[in-house]
Amino acid sequence: MFFAGIDIGSTITKVVVRNEKEIISTLIRPTGAEHRRMAHEAVLETLQKVNLGFEEVDYIIATGYGRINVPFADAQISEITCHMRGVNWIFPGVKTIIDVGGQDCKGIKVENGKMKNFIMNDKCAAGTGRFLEIIADTLGLALEDIGEISLRSKKPAEISKTCTIFAEQEILLRLSEGCAIEDILAGLHKALANRIYTMVGKIKIEKEVVLTGGGAKNQGLRKWLEEKIGYPVLVAEEPLLTGALGAAVLAQEKAGKMSDQDLAEMKKNRKLEAVTFFKEDSTSNPGA
Amino acid sequence: MFYQAGLDIGSFMSKSVIIEGEKVLSYSILPSSGKFKNAAITVLNNALEKANLTFSDLKIIGATGLGASFIPYPYVESSEVSCQSRGIKFLFPSVNIVIEVGDQSTRVIKVTDKGKVADCVINDRCAAGSGRILQIIAKVLRINLEEMGALSVKSNNPVRFSTGCSVFAETEAISRIAEGARKEDIIAGLHQAMAIKIYSMIQKIKMEEVCAITGGGAKDIGLVKTIERVIKKELLVPEEPLISGAIGAALIAVEKSGILV
Repeated sequence: MFFAGIDIGSTITKVVVRNEKEIISTLIRPTGAEHRRMAHEAVLETLQKVNLGFEEVDYIIATGYGRINVPFADAQISEITCHMRGVNWIFPGVKTIIDVGGQDCKGIKVENGKMKNFIMNDKCAAGTGRFLEIIADTLGLALEDIGEISLRSKKPAEISKTCTIFAEQEILLRLSEGCAIEDILAGLHKALANRIYTMVGKIKIEKEVVLTGGGAKNQGLRKWLEEKIGYPVLVAEEPLLTGALGAAVLAQEKAGKMSDQDLAEMKKNRKLEAVTFFKEDSTSNPGA
Repeated sequence: MFYQAGLDIGSFMSKSVIIEGEKVLSYSILPSSGKFKNAAITVLNNALEKANLTFSDLKIIGATGLGASFIPYPYVESSEVSCQSRGIKFLFPSVNIVIEVGDQSTRVIKVTDKGKVADCVINDRCAAGSGRILQIIAKVLRINLEEMGALSVKSNNPVRFSTGCSVFAETEAISRIAEGARKEDIIAGLHQAMAIKIYSMIQKIKMEEVCAITGGGAKDIGLVKTIERVIKKELLVPEEPLISGAIGAALIAVEKSGILV
């Protein structure tokens, strides 16, 4: 049997396909502007990599911010549950998950594989991946590089503002004072880590701590967070995939509770098509 | 009589004025473009040229703004809040409260009869309500900053923004455009959100009789009208809202240095 999880995030879409034991294919691609209608293409591409047909997948779960726009999914489950399950599958000892995404930042407390507490910021860009994106942009650097560069600093610059807009200005001011880029970056990463630590600290950070989302790929953020927390945090081999992985794990669980007949019936009714929220151009058919 | 100069080197714009006694002789406004020193030199020279003066004619320079420390001449520095307060009192002697909508920060200042600061609220922790978001959205909509006001006034169905965060408002505006929202409704919604934030700031220092608005935001007629509607009061708007801080800087410099006028 095969199971798929699709996680449509604000910036990146992720797909995981599993059999009963392991992950057999994955895909990571930008979500893009009119992203949601690409969901079916992303799934097909992931399946193609291992020569699987769409009808061979027994259960599909969609998650993430664009999950309601995946009409062919057999179920939609919130990204918090999926994330938690995915991380728990990779690290069974996890107690705290810190997820730094493109648009928000979440803290999840896990106990015996179940979610115990949860906290989230999606109202302010400080403390989210968007902060790093804007900073990379302001400095004219690639998002993937800024974490590494920040590690070279011996004397992090003082960044007093948490607001992304103000930090942007502070960067320009520090630059004109002649501050080195790695010091500015180190200061910014430190400020971001502090902000995340304060937020997640409200639900108490307990060992093991797993860092996920795009933020987990940033070495600088990881270092300053570890310094704040006081011990190393765990990071999955591919931290972006935990949501999709959790969805695929849940898909297996759900399929296991259904009879073969019901599964076949459900598969038959699945529609693999694009969705769009743009109004289709009616001028192409003036007679209609 | 002598000549005095005021410089306001802001994060976005640099402003200069030349004053003689009670009269503003000339002014100049330039983008700072992150090069504060160059901007300060050029903007002062431009104003001097317009007034047919040279640098040596100046008796004193007053300065304020984020980039004031980059000015290469001797000057008397004053805080942005006291300069706005003094400058707006010079322009409108009856004023009690001034709302300054700048690039980075929005301030609401209560002004005494002598043009001193009685009380003040600044959004220094979060850029919500500041002028920066107008620039961001103008870029998203591919229009000029100057066009926003006129468009906003046309809207009769303002878009509702769910967060005050200037960064997320950009993302939200893009989603709304994708869904087919009209430009004017997005701008009007933005003005609405800013006006509400500014109103909550005014409430902290209590409303007074005469209110003025200054800074770059005061040039946006849509924002001014929306704030007027939200606070249920008409606002005084300077002919050139960008230079009130520079005027205040020049006036305070003279007072501080004890030169007899």
